[in-house]
Amino acid sequence: MRLTLQLLISHGRVARRIGLGPESRINILRNILTGLVRHERIETTTGRADEVRFYAEKLIDYAKKGDTDEKAMKMASFWLTEKDLVPKLFKVLAPRFETQSKDYTRMARLPARMNLDRAKMAVLEYKGNPYPPLSPIRKENELTLINQLLKAYREERSQLFAAKT
Amino acid sequence: MAACIQRLDRAMFSIRLLRNVQLHNERSLSTSLHRLALDTEQPSKFTPPVKPVIIDKTQSVASLRKFLSPEFVPPRQRTKPIKFTIERKDMIRRRKVLNIPEFYVGSILAVTMTDPHATGKNNRFVGICIQRGGRGLGATLVLRNIIDNQGVEICYEMYSPRVQQIEVLKLEKRLDDNLMYLRDALPEFCTVDTDMKPQPSSPTGEVPVNKTRVRMLPKPWSKRWERPKYDVKGIRFDLCLSPEQLEHAQKWAQPWVEYDMLKEYDTSKLEEDIYTELQQEAAAAK
Repeated sequence: MRLTLQLLISHGRVARRIGLGPESRINILRNILTGLVRHERIETTTGRADEVRFYAEKLIDYAKKGDTDEKAMKMASFWLTEKDLVPKLFKVLAPRFETQSKDYTRMARLPARMNLDRAKMAVLEYKGNPYPPLSPIRKENELTLINQLLKAYREERSQLFAAKT
Repeated sequence: MAACIQRLDRAMFSIRLLRNVQLHNERSLSTSLHRLALDTEQPSKFTPPVKPVIIDKTQSVASLRKFLSPEFVPPRQRTKPIKFTIERKDMIRRRKVLNIPEFYVGSILAVTMTDPHATGKNNRFVGICIQRGGRGLGATLVLRNIIDNQGVEICYEMYSPRVQQIEVLKLEKRLDDNLMYLRDALPEFCTVDTDMKPQPSSPTGEVPVNKTRVRMLPKPWSKRWERPKYDVKGIRFDLCLSPEQLEHAQKWAQPWVEYDMLKEYDTSKLEEDIYTELQQEAAAAK
């Protein structure tokens, strides 16, 4: 006999509760996704960024099918509220990710918003965007002891190999 | 067959011999004459009579359509796939013993099940299939019929050892996958003749779609079938509801759901893999 309501148990539910209800959730995610496609790097709250990530990658999968595909065009026109971004999706973003099959987006955390709500913020971007990278590229310091020893070892190895042949 | 007839003739001949001595003389004379006559002609070669070709129309031929029973396709879950592979093996083992034919929701079936309290230990029920539920070994099938003005629905577990035979009397599809609305439909749409003979269907080609749209009893119904979440195509709403009521029902429409990629579950690749696995098992069994 069921002792708790299904509403109170969320086993296996994958959709986060955002906004006022399911329609509101989809509208909010749609707006964020449109912003992401326009600017290719946006800041939102962590939860919304995590939800939009899934939809952003699925939208790219649909875009890869090509703009002649009816379903892909319907999806694109539904999810992108600004219709001038539909050609950008099919002609710029889809060819960019042609070689990859997954992981088109990158999410990084930011310091919390300074407003009253102190919400956890995250930045979400499509890979291959024109901006400078989110995390600076760490260059290995060649002048450390271990790196110098490894460099010498590699040179010796290559000399031995050259001497053998 | 011919040898039996010859033996029978000889037996009859001997019986007549015992009965009438006069006849015997005549007969022997006649047969000897007959034999003499036969000897003068060329000895004809014995041609056995043509064997009658029996076409067994009651036995159904295995369908040649590409059909995968829905209970083989596992739902979207977090369980490990090994559970489904083991279950599929058990399902194939059961199917080797009991033939579960291809059928759809809307076909008319007859299921015989063991019943310790029935005379003859078996219990046969004929009905229209309104729902195919469950996955794996717990796959169920609900048959509905109206007997003596009483609607009866029986839910059978297809892989239960109590089920002796599942026979498809009429193979057809309907406009919906779930015919639960027949509970609120007029009785004439659910009555199935219990002594119906199996209708032959071709093993190749498309399954016929029965496009009947059902007339309903007056409201209230068990469920609000006019609402878009049920997506019922097989009811004549124009006869039972006014346009205002239909418009009011559309308020519960959720047009964003068809674009929600989170709810999509693409089973095409999974179905193909399972189908090839089943074909291999069937070939290996032979």
